[in-house]
Amino acid sequence: MSDSYEYILKTEHVSKRFGDLEVLKDINLSVKKGEVICIIGPSGAGKSTFLRSLNQLEKITSGKIFVRDELFLHRENDHTVDRLPADKQQELLLEMGMVFQRFNLFPHKTVLQNVCEAPLVVKKEKKDVVEKRALELLERVGLADKRDEYPSRLSGGQQQRVAIARALAMNPEIMLFDEPTSALDPELVGDVLEVMRELAHTGMTMLCVTHEMGFAREVADRVLFMADGIIVEEGVPELLFCSPKAERTKNFLKSVL
Amino acid sequence: MKKTDLKKYSKQLIITGVIVLVCIILAILKPGREELLRRTSPEMQTLIDADANSSRKRVTVTYNDLLIVNYVSLSSSGANVLSERYVGFLGQTWSADEGAAKIAGQMINYTYRMLGCGENLMHGAKLTVLLTTLTVFFGVILGTILALGKISKRKLLSRLSSAYIFFFRGTPLLIQMFVVYFTVPGIFGFAWRDLFPASDAEAVYKGAFTAALIAFALNSGAYCAEIVRSAIQSIDKGQFEAAKALGMSYAQTMTRIIIPQSIRRMIPNVSNEFIMILKDASLVFAISLMDITTISKNIMTSEGSYLVFLPALIIYLVITAFFGVLFNWIEKRFSIYE
Repeated sequence: MSDSYEYILKTEHVSKRFGDLEVLKDINLSVKKGEVICIIGPSGAGKSTFLRSLNQLEKITSGKIFVRDELFLHRENDHTVDRLPADKQQELLLEMGMVFQRFNLFPHKTVLQNVCEAPLVVKKEKKDVVEKRALELLERVGLADKRDEYPSRLSGGQQQRVAIARALAMNPEIMLFDEPTSALDPELVGDVLEVMRELAHTGMTMLCVTHEMGFAREVADRVLFMADGIIVEEGVPELLFCSPKAERTKNFLKSVL
Repeated sequence: MKKTDLKKYSKQLIITGVIVLVCIILAILKPGREELLRRTSPEMQTLIDADANSSRKRVTVTYNDLLIVNYVSLSSSGANVLSERYVGFLGQTWSADEGAAKIAGQMINYTYRMLGCGENLMHGAKLTVLLTTLTVFFGVILGTILALGKISKRKLLSRLSSAYIFFFRGTPLLIQMFVVYFTVPGIFGFAWRDLFPASDAEAVYKGAFTAALIAFALNSGAYCAEIVRSAIQSIDKGQFEAAKALGMSYAQTMTRIIIPQSIRRMIPNVSNEFIMILKDASLVFAISLMDITTISKNIMTSEGSYLVFLPALIIYLVITAFFGVLFNWIEKRFSIYE
């Protein structure tokens, strides 16, 4: 991978509307390699939609998305103005791993098969190579002993850790976390956060939509506060959490802390 | 199978085991063909012995073996007509010329004929089961293709699939079968029996069967399409998203993630479709294939026996029950991950 780019991911004026509802309004964000960014905010703020539009699970209404400084997609009024060719887009999309709130593991496949599926099918890697890497990843998330279990037999926390291993198996450069702990019982949140914390320490570029303020404060390089489809405030965790400027941020932090 | 499964099904297993055991005992105790033939009257015996040394047979012997019970019917030709029937069961032989034994003997004979025993696959229950199984097999394949077409984002493909489904669900299967059997060869100038070598004595039946199978599969495909479509659309949207986020193509997502999961959800409906087709299969009556229904109607017409339809119903019930159990088992096999 060449590191000759400035921003691994950048958005300019990204907007998204569902019918009359404007979910994202003019979002500008630049992410450097290795940065850990946490996005916080009240529900309905557009945090998840923003994350999902980065890896094309949602089509943006207008705005530009750059990946490694290349114009990945440019849309205006729901029409694509400019974009990379499909194969190049696909290649760059593989650099983004995604972890969902509801895990979305494949229920008909075992833990090991879940992790191996995409590298085998999408990247057509050799089975023994993939399995070796998958087992290392499962070891890393502490679930090597569950390799042959089906997801339904795992707890939510274990399923989410498998989901993280599954995303990591594709060797992505960026990890997108969409409220990874929101669907978990409180006592299971810790294990998942521990895995994410460790991942952040290895230098992985991460974008996390989260309600775990403690985690954001401890791990993030930068915290974004989003409300009503705009980035209200952003900054290093200490500043944003200890001396927020905007009134909305203050109110939000008061209600969650 | 795991130990817990064995425990869960222990009752069914015991019942099945007892039934099988009883059948084996009854089959062993059943008198053989020779034993039944020895029961005949001295006059008949003389005729049989005479037949053994002559090329011109004067006695017609019908022997029906139904595993646990057997039946023989003898009738002689000539001036002095003799007619005798015997039933063998539990090591005993009974004369079946009158009363309940006569009815029992008839039922054995009718069941034997409707099951298609001693005949090839183009007869009786064999034909019904063969037609139904093949129809469901091809119907599910066609249905999957149609369902994928219908949910496709390509407008033309989606509309064509919808039109197909609309047409085949909106017209009677009987007429669809007539069109395949009569109209299509009429227009294109061929005959279904010509698909098979003229030397084949069953060419007519095989040709009619092919036509029936095509009509049934085309029709079933339309119904299966809706089954497959609803199963696919019942899969959590998150599965599509997870596959897409991992870079899988639409085809990979469908074949590796969505369809394997929807199979289990299809099974109850496919089982239902199977039972519907099993009964619809009696429509082949109209193109003179010898299925259970045709045979029962023929017996009714030629022998005037109004009781023949009772064993016919029982045969259908037994087939339905057997496949019901089979589909349940398949569903369990596909549920291991839940």
